[in-house]
Amino acid sequence: MEGKLSSVAKNFTPSSIQELSQLAQKCNAINLAEGFPDFPAPPCIKEAAVSAINNDFNQYRRVQGICDQLALKMKKTHGLNVNPLTDIAICCGQSEAFAAAIFSIINQGDEVLLFDPCYETYEGCITLAGGIPVYVALEPPQWTLDPEKLMRSFTSRTKAIVLNSPHNPTGKVFSRDELEIIAEGCRRWDCVAITDEVYEYITYDNQKHQTIAKLPGMQERTIITSSLSKTFSVTGWRIGWAIAPASAASAIQNIHIRITDSAPAPFQEAALTALRSPIEYFETLRGEYELKRDFCMKLLGSIGFRIQFKPQGSLFLFAELPKDCLLSDVEYVEELIKQAGVVVVPGRGFFHGNESCNYQKRYIRVAFCKSGATLNAAAQKFGELINAKACPKILY
Amino acid sequence: MQAAECTWTHFEMLRPFCFKSPSTTPLFFNFSKHFQKGYSDSSFFRSNWRISNYPSFMATISSVSTHKDPVSTHDATPNITHQPVQVAKRLEKFKTTIFTQMSMLAIKHGAINLGQGFPNFDGPDFVKEAAIQAIKDGKNQYARGYGVPDFNNAIAARFKKDTGLVIDPEKEVTVTSGCTEAIAATMLGLIDPGDEVILFAPFYDSYEATLSMAGAKVKCITLRPPDFAVPIDELKSTISKNTRAILINTPHNPTGKMFTREELNTIASLCIENDVLVFTDEVYDKLAFEMDHISMASLPGMYERTVTMNSLGKTFSLTGWKIGWAIAPPHLTWGVRQAHSFLTFATSTPMQYAATVALQAPDSYFAELKTDYMAKKAILVQGLKDVGFKVFPSSGTYFVVVDHTRFGLDNDIAFCEYLIKEVGVVAIPTSVFYLNPEDGKNLVRFTFCKDEETLRSAVERMKEKLKKK
Repeated sequence: MEGKLSSVAKNFTPSSIQELSQLAQKCNAINLAEGFPDFPAPPCIKEAAVSAINNDFNQYRRVQGICDQLALKMKKTHGLNVNPLTDIAICCGQSEAFAAAIFSIINQGDEVLLFDPCYETYEGCITLAGGIPVYVALEPPQWTLDPEKLMRSFTSRTKAIVLNSPHNPTGKVFSRDELEIIAEGCRRWDCVAITDEVYEYITYDNQKHQTIAKLPGMQERTIITSSLSKTFSVTGWRIGWAIAPASAASAIQNIHIRITDSAPAPFQEAALTALRSPIEYFETLRGEYELKRDFCMKLLGSIGFRIQFKPQGSLFLFAELPKDCLLSDVEYVEELIKQAGVVVVPGRGFFHGNESCNYQKRYIRVAFCKSGATLNAAAQKFGELINAKACPKILY
Repeated sequence: MQAAECTWTHFEMLRPFCFKSPSTTPLFFNFSKHFQKGYSDSSFFRSNWRISNYPSFMATISSVSTHKDPVSTHDATPNITHQPVQVAKRLEKFKTTIFTQMSMLAIKHGAINLGQGFPNFDGPDFVKEAAIQAIKDGKNQYARGYGVPDFNNAIAARFKKDTGLVIDPEKEVTVTSGCTEAIAATMLGLIDPGDEVILFAPFYDSYEATLSMAGAKVKCITLRPPDFAVPIDELKSTISKNTRAILINTPHNPTGKMFTREELNTIASLCIENDVLVFTDEVYDKLAFEMDHISMASLPGMYERTVTMNSLGKTFSLTGWKIGWAIAPPHLTWGVRQAHSFLTFATSTPMQYAATVALQAPDSYFAELKTDYMAKKAILVQGLKDVGFKVFPSSGTYFVVVDHTRFGLDNDIAFCEYLIKEVGVVAIPTSVFYLNPEDGKNLVRFTFCKDEETLRSAVERMKEKLKKK
């Protein structure tokens, strides 16, 4: 059977992350690693899902109303005119929307630009479709975009650029100026922008998320992907979408039908309720997460971190290890599990390309989409650590 | 549905930052799915795509699916000007599926829909209640990528009951968004571009699409009426050491054929001889009426080279929940899981909990399912015969194919159009299920996954308005 393994299978290397994961389980660690909430979803949308199941919305369907709501939102939030009949594909989560978007436009050998660090899954999708990922590093500590570096990365083979804003793992929200630079590259090189906007409603300090699609010349070359998951704390429901010019949206819808056929029907119904949430819902969401972000920053501050980049959005804090700390990210995370019983994610998995950059092994990602109880528990653990007489390696 | 006001009501007080709070019970997690570095920059190559002859019917329908009359919600300013996004070459030939198109026409003409294969009745209460309970219990976040542990266990238990095979739910079961995704993940995870894959025509239309996405070279063997038996000689001359995999759908959509033990044994020995993988789509396994369903994986020497796929939808009349799975030995499961993690990442959590309950249903549930469907089948088959169709025997699934030619229409598309517009009944033209549409032009597919009254009404309409030429 050895010879039957695909090239994909043969390239697998075991992950140090998996080993950490097992360790954390063994130690029953407090989970500040994964990007999903440990608190309940809003009751009204759960009710909507329950209703849908009871009212027999359980067969294959595509709920056009979701598209209508999204078109309204696009108009209201971004001033974009989107045709709900032709420009929107409903998928099983942003994950599938992104995969379908990639399959819809990437041909063998097409290059796709990605900002580094970034969410791991993009690369896999691109490679699966025969594309070539090309990384453009954002520069620490502020994760700034260097316009010249970006422009140099475009070639005649560049087909698309992936833009995740608000950004996982750094929490960066790309500014209007930065979006303009990216747009300029897309226009000049005739490229498509594929966006991942799942954290679109989670921005802080009065920052507003802006979609690159609203910049001049961009709507016709942008595929927006997003989902219910993070906005409504239902990451397990798998309801997402792609918004794009009709030819792309149609292709994405048709690919989606061949990959999964339909997004889960009762949750599509519930999405109608979710998307009609009043403005207060989103304001409270933002306010809540901002408090958690601030708490998390203090938490890390208490054990010696100096946070140089305050998250402007998303559910994550990407923190550089204290200067005097000699451990690598993986070692640090291991120590944190063992000594504090708290688990976070080593940053190296988000970096690609140039291995010689030392900073790639010096970051940890902390997720603060957790209940007050969880965050307080983590605080207590850190407190015990500091109050202990011993001086552990991880404390400064 | 009421548009309820949604508020964030689960706010918990964050105590002012201090070190004296009580600890809580931490949670299970697994983030290995985020970081498996499975892909390198290997150079894939693509074979050339044949553009198949598109039946003219499809060309006249717009490529957008909708179930409502158009309502304009935007102003007159055009938002698309020059340079539309270029769609990937390999996908240009895949437009809206025939099912969506027929459904649109059906609605427009008020036709009774015996085309699309989903029930017009709902799933059992005990399964729906389990889903509701899961939602209320807060099971609404990401499930483990390859499946909720209890569900994987239930799948393994069911498989043991059905086939006698004992498998490891942790290493040999992958949960996907429906069997459709199991197929996509299997193709993308295990097929390299240029690999030869054998398909039996007629075939469910997503097979060809996903094989295209995987860059496979498709070799087609046509099953022919009246019994759609596997042409063994043709199979022997098609399969070779160059064949990577063969895809078998049994019970078979659209014909209702069930692969016999003899056929499966022959295919098995050819696969062993030529070191070929087998991918089986067994979603209709519980709708086996005329003979027992046989899983290829249960044949000697076959488990190690087979991916067995199934789903909840057909057995439990919950086609919109999208719960499916793939069972395969660890070295094949690995590839399936990789692709799956990039396609959808995880499968709907509350539905997996409900599916766990479903798979543990007592034997009486499955017995009743069969009895109900056999009654429906009898109504449709007798009705179709009375109307004058030549009806081919269907051993399983909830489909039956018929020859329509005595009604004087040129081909299956024309017949289906006529049937919708003049008679008010929907069937599916089978030419879309063939690589060469000509092979299917005499056949159309009807489904009987509808309540009995609907079936009787459809038969009545056909008796009244369909005239032989």
